[in-house]
Amino acid sequence: MELKVKDKESLLRRLMVAGGEPVSGQMLADEAGVSRTAVWKWVRELEEDGYTVRSVRKKGYVLEASPDRLSPALIRQHLKDDRFVKDIIHYESVGSTMPLAHREAQNGAPDGTVIVAEEQTEGRGRLARPWSSAAGKGIWMSVILKPDIPPHRAPQFTLIAAVAICLAIRETAEVEARIKWPNDLLVGRRKVTGILTELQADPDRVQAIIIGTGINVNQELDDFPAELADIATSVRIEAGQQVDRAALAAAVLTNLGKYSRLYIEEGFTPIKELWEKNSDTIGRKVNAVMMREKVTGTAIGITEDGVLEIRTEDGGIRGIYSADIEPAE
Amino acid sequence: MLKIQEIREIIKLIDQTGIEEFKYKTEEGEIKLKKGGAFQVVESAPAVQAPAVAAPAPAAPVAQPAPVAKEEPKQQEAAPAAVSQDENLLEVKSPMVGTFYQSPSPDAAPFVAVGDKVKPDSVVCIVEAMKLFNEIEAETSGEIAQILVEDGQLVEYGQPLFLVKPE
Repeated sequence: MELKVKDKESLLRRLMVAGGEPVSGQMLADEAGVSRTAVWKWVRELEEDGYTVRSVRKKGYVLEASPDRLSPALIRQHLKDDRFVKDIIHYESVGSTMPLAHREAQNGAPDGTVIVAEEQTEGRGRLARPWSSAAGKGIWMSVILKPDIPPHRAPQFTLIAAVAICLAIRETAEVEARIKWPNDLLVGRRKVTGILTELQADPDRVQAIIIGTGINVNQELDDFPAELADIATSVRIEAGQQVDRAALAAAVLTNLGKYSRLYIEEGFTPIKELWEKNSDTIGRKVNAVMMREKVTGTAIGITEDGVLEIRTEDGGIRGIYSADIEPAE
Repeated sequence: MLKIQEIREIIKLIDQTGIEEFKYKTEEGEIKLKKGGAFQVVESAPAVQAPAVAAPAPAAPVAQPAPVAKEEPKQQEAAPAAVSQDENLLEVKSPMVGTFYQSPSPDAAPFVAVGDKVKPDSVVCIVEAMKLFNEIEAETSGEIAQILVEDGQLVEYGQPLFLVKPE
């Protein structure tokens, strides 16, 4: 990895990698080909951004604390595998990260481009339903994937995203999130994450898959609007403590890269196994509510395409492609 | 018997060639694919509304031998008449199995109605499966001549959704 210091961002990366050891101001200045005063100015700017940098006499600079931000540098610091993530584009406040990601994808942004915001003022879910996305509390992020596949292999990515985020929440915060078919993440019966997946495709080729994630991370109970109080939760509420958003975002991105690669290389079977193992739906009596009918029965599994199978009371098995799943008990 | 994935691949390959008809027969059943006018998966039964999906057991519904012969004439009848009557109409086909939505959300107006002019990049509908929303574009310039499926209906891979009278 290129670590030559040339600006504020690369200086930050350098201090992060030093892991608490002082880095000499003179050395940084020499490396960047600038004066020590210029390095000191970058440090001042980092402090204005919310970082705590201590100056140790005759030794250099030490990064002592980072702000609670989803900045590219902070997310990259936590990435266990940086093969997947390309650009991370970070906004303070946006309407929604989804249209921005669509535009980036159309303008040639590569596979692994990430759009992330501290706040969304018009966060949305499926069917243009609003999604509460308070400032600094969650991971409001859209990821661009550009796999070389036909469109009929794309719907499986909603289940891949669910597995990736479910396991990231477990790894990072030890909270037992489970997947409601096809891709909502619940803790108990409350929703901790919504995923919205959209496609840009030609009739025979996927151009881009945009995976939008609304992960409720550090909200406390009274941070949710009243109408969500009974149906929403956050990782923090479930873990009982503050969660590092950048670390969780990095785990999500690492897993998204890992499981989409697994799907492309080995097909859906390994994803199906992980999905079923972490499912909240399988084994439950559910109603599958569709536009034209409602099917009631026991969810018994998903197919090799991710289609939910429900055993109805007459003993038949119905394959569900599109439905809202609700508990029938 | 063939898996649904394999059948899809076969359909795709046949679609790219001049082959008009394809039969595959084993002890477990028979699959017959036929091109011409409307592109059809002949054996796919009335499952179009509510396809039973393969149980873990080997017998996939598409592989049941009996209905094949019986269903064929029905499917032929059900094929949109306009196709044979007017060779100039172009089909907009579904690129995947999923639910057909004619509008972006339940309360919104439909993307297109019969008589509407479309351009290649006009969105004509959404096909959704597993909450993946695929906005389907007309891919051609012309006028919507017929809408072949209903809002909320499950559509098959390759099923014609619209007929477009090209400009």
